[in-house]
Amino acid sequence: MSGADHALRRVSAVRGVRGAMLVSAPDGLVISESSMEDVDGRAIAALAASLAGRLRRAAASAGLGRPTVIQLRGETGTLLAVPAGDELLVVAVGDRETNLGLARLELLEAARGIA
Amino acid sequence: MRVLESWVSGPLSRFLDESAARLVLLMTSSGQVVAQHGFTRSVDVMSAAALGAGIMASTGELAHLMGSPRFGALVHQGTEQGLMLSGFETPRGRWIGLVAFGPESSVGIVQLFFQQFTDEIAAAAPPEEPRGPVLAENFEHELNASLRALFGR
Amino acid sequence: MNDDVRALTSELARDPGSLVFLDLAEVLRRRGQLDAALTVAASGLARYPALADAHALHARILAERGDGDGAFDGWMNALQLEPAHQAAHRGLGFLYYRAGDLARALRHLEFAAQAAPEDAGLRAAIERVRVAAAPAPAEALAGGTAAGEVVAEAAPAPTSRAIPFAIDSGSGTSSESELFAGLDGARDGLLLLDQHGLRLGGALRNEDGADVSDAVAAHLAGVSREAARAARLLGLGEWQSLGVECEDGNAHLVAPTAETVLLTVRDVSVPAGRLGLVAERAAQAARRWLERVA
Repeated sequence: MSGADHALRRVSAVRGVRGAMLVSAPDGLVISESSMEDVDGRAIAALAASLAGRLRRAAASAGLGRPTVIQLRGETGTLLAVPAGDELLVVAVGDRETNLGLARLELLEAARGIA
Repeated sequence: MRVLESWVSGPLSRFLDESAARLVLLMTSSGQVVAQHGFTRSVDVMSAAALGAGIMASTGELAHLMGSPRFGALVHQGTEQGLMLSGFETPRGRWIGLVAFGPESSVGIVQLFFQQFTDEIAAAAPPEEPRGPVLAENFEHELNASLRALFGR
Repeated sequence: MNDDVRALTSELARDPGSLVFLDLAEVLRRRGQLDAALTVAASGLARYPALADAHALHARILAERGDGDGAFDGWMNALQLEPAHQAAHRGLGFLYYRAGDLARALRHLEFAAQAAPEDAGLRAAIERVRVAAAPAPAEALAGGTAAGEVVAEAAPAPTSRAIPFAIDSGSGTSSESELFAGLDGARDGLLLLDQHGLRLGGALRNEDGADVSDAVAAHLAGVSREAARAARLLGLGEWQSLGVECEDGNAHLVAPTAETVLLTVRDVSVPAGRLGLVAERAAQAARRWLERVA
């Protein structure tokens, strides 16, 4: 098992997380994924990368520097994305019960290991 | 956006809105243009349709020779612009989509919403009218007829 | 795509030379599909370069995309073709107000009101601009200054002025200063926008103190649409918030109402969780303010 796969498994093991994946940020394509339940991995990759790209431009215009953690909360779940260098994103999708604090830490750890 | 058949316009408009594609050309596998968005010169449409249909035909034959299933899509990612060429089945036969996109979009977004587009096209297509076989001598005539309709010339 | 857009698109496809492009572009604009609206309006304008309505609509869409210069040119073109064009005067009034040129803003809004005397929103906008242009009591007592000069001096720097009225309607009756009154960051870390990225109140400054509200606003309408789309397509339900931790600061985006977006920004010392609470308090303030000005 590669380092990336191991890191994604750790993220997926967090309570409430339905799956995690490594995404090519410029393309919005899946590189590697771990136990995505009932979710279209291609859609997550494309939409997370697109959102991250827009946020990168908005943050730059606000003088905030580069995004390090992105958290989109919906009524029934959350999308988390952490850039790993310029080209990669580590992404997780969780339900309403997700331990977001732990998921965030695991994503940051995964990004550090992958970048 | 110009379409030859009005039922294509709804799915295509949604695809354009969601994908932010710069250019789109829809054609039958014989190269007859069904719809276009973003092209300003008919000569470009004519060339792109002929090349797109030719590429899909040749890669399909290559896949056959190699014992592989037909390629679903071909993607070329350039520095300023990406291209996707994808064949898909419709109730009207096999169609080909050629999509050009810039950095405001991505391969992932284009593929995601192109899949949605092809699903919508399959659902929206009215029953096919009986057609004669596509003969080589009909190809240029059909292409020119499409271009007249698509550019109003 | 709703039935209106579908029907108008089909009609335009059948008859590309018709004026239905005006209706289609307007419907798309109202739906927030600005790229599509611009494409439709631009192609219609290419066919009808002498149609003032086409210039005005094109300008309106450009304004909502944050292209103030393009919008200005478009509305000026409309006035050259039709000097009493109401929407063009209203739009120019909006741009001049945003630029801090209250005298010209008032002139254009009054022209617009002549064509639409029953428009309560426009009357309210005129009143707001008149109040903003009036000299402060101390200046009035000093006397001897022509009204136009006072207006020029009283006008704040263009980038620091929030917009108390939309291009469509001047319903703003509550002072912008009341919007986030009492909240930390009211003048440099809270920004309320409409769904098209036009600033309704608040301001955002970078670490050098420069007002970056309009630059950020131009991006945020797209961000909120992207967030809504991602949440919907990924089965997360309606989006509720978007938190972004950055190298040099943290940001939190929420939608106080269906038509507005609120950005809260703090430095990195404010953790994301606490920033969410600050943002929720600001959203409540924004909802109260929006109810008052509605």
